[in-house]
Amino acid sequence: MSVPFSGALRRSGGIVSAIGKQLKSVNLKGVKRITVQFDPFAENVKSTREFLFLLSTPKVALTNPKCVIKSEIVCDRQSASIKFALIDSAQEQAKVKEIRFNSDNINTLELLQLCNRHVSSLAPPEEITNKVLTKAEKQKLGGGAGGGKKATKKK
Amino acid sequence: MVDSKTVVTIIQCNYIPIRGNLAAKTVNSHSFQFPTLYQKHYSIMSLSLIQKILPLAKSSTPALQSVRFKGKINIQRPKEPHYERARVVAVTQPKYPEPPKAKSCFKTRAERTQQQIENPYNEIIAREVRNWLDHSRLVAVFHLNSITSDEIFRVRVQLHKQNLHLKSYGRKIISQAVAATRYEAILPLFHSNHCIVFSPDQQTIGSLLRITRKVPQMVLLGGVVEDTLLSRNELMAYAQLPGLQAVQAQLVQTLNQAAGHLVQQMQAHQQSFVQVLDVHAKGEVKETTPELTEEPK
Repeated sequence: MSVPFSGALRRSGGIVSAIGKQLKSVNLKGVKRITVQFDPFAENVKSTREFLFLLSTPKVALTNPKCVIKSEIVCDRQSASIKFALIDSAQEQAKVKEIRFNSDNINTLELLQLCNRHVSSLAPPEEITNKVLTKAEKQKLGGGAGGGKKATKKK
Repeated sequence: MVDSKTVVTIIQCNYIPIRGNLAAKTVNSHSFQFPTLYQKHYSIMSLSLIQKILPLAKSSTPALQSVRFKGKINIQRPKEPHYERARVVAVTQPKYPEPPKAKSCFKTRAERTQQQIENPYNEIIAREVRNWLDHSRLVAVFHLNSITSDEIFRVRVQLHKQNLHLKSYGRKIISQAVAATRYEAILPLFHSNHCIVFSPDQQTIGSLLRITRKVPQMVLLGGVVEDTLLSRNELMAYAQLPGLQAVQAQLVQTLNQAAGHLVQQMQAHQQSFVQVLDVHAKGEVKETTPELTEEPK
């Protein structure tokens, strides 16, 4: 008689939490320069401006301290655009030199989603430079060689 | 015996219509049948009246008995009342008039949400914004990226020293302030995080640009100078202008240039002739002077 359950158990947090979720996964490691260009008196620049603000937050900026965010204000009713100039390894991976979003008709959330899909995926994987060995690991590594030595010594 | 823990009254006063008689105060004695551990207190009302009205209330009541002497009283598991008492209680339950159904109960969501009363404080702030706009000769609007309040305070202080006032208002208030006035065109600048700088003085654009150049989070969008809306590039160009007197001098020069050009054309031939003569005269002087110098040698 009863209909099987369909739908979500938890209520969605709304657009703000969706934006927050996307923002957490933004990674600018593959970008060396971001140029945001818009005409402030045009309509439809709200999403661009919001995106610019979100990129300037310390958490996002921390993903790549070398990345420069430049904002250009134009007065000739050009459509708003966001350009990501990629680093070399990312350029090889994506086979393009820069990625450009025309953000006239895109929502802030959609902008972030696109950014995550196309730009964050080009971030080079992190290399582990200093791995601190625990005592047990050290023993394991050195024990194999030292144990043999010890055995011979004892003999 | 009255202890410190005893509580004096458990008189339940109810108004009971008894066979159409007038209401009378009664003392219900059935609640006072506690176990012998507890002592009871009564206050004496007319016992004969009690006995008349409640014929069953015949228990012999001593003069005063304490009700409680222990701290704990039982209210969670009350004893089931005697039938008579229950009957009385049932009859005497208060009947309140039905509360009016909430007026918004049958309205749609749209009607409910549209009835948000606007805070009159917004009106006051809007008036303040309009005041600033009317009395400042320079208004610059900036887009504000993520910035710490420490940094913005430093900027605010630096600007204040130049008599520039950094302010920020919500879009709703600004639209209320500006909507039907001549400043309506600046509204699109306030869609996102912003700040406004007002200056009652003239000629502070240079210092404003100098200070805000050091702040990467503030992006100049546009402004209003002497009731003229200027875009960013125009504002920068305006900042490069030398100054009112110099510009007026330039204007005068341009105006005079028309007549001056005509005069120049008329005099052109004479002037060139005079110049050639000059050169020739100088040339002769130079030839003679070397001869003079040679002689003493």
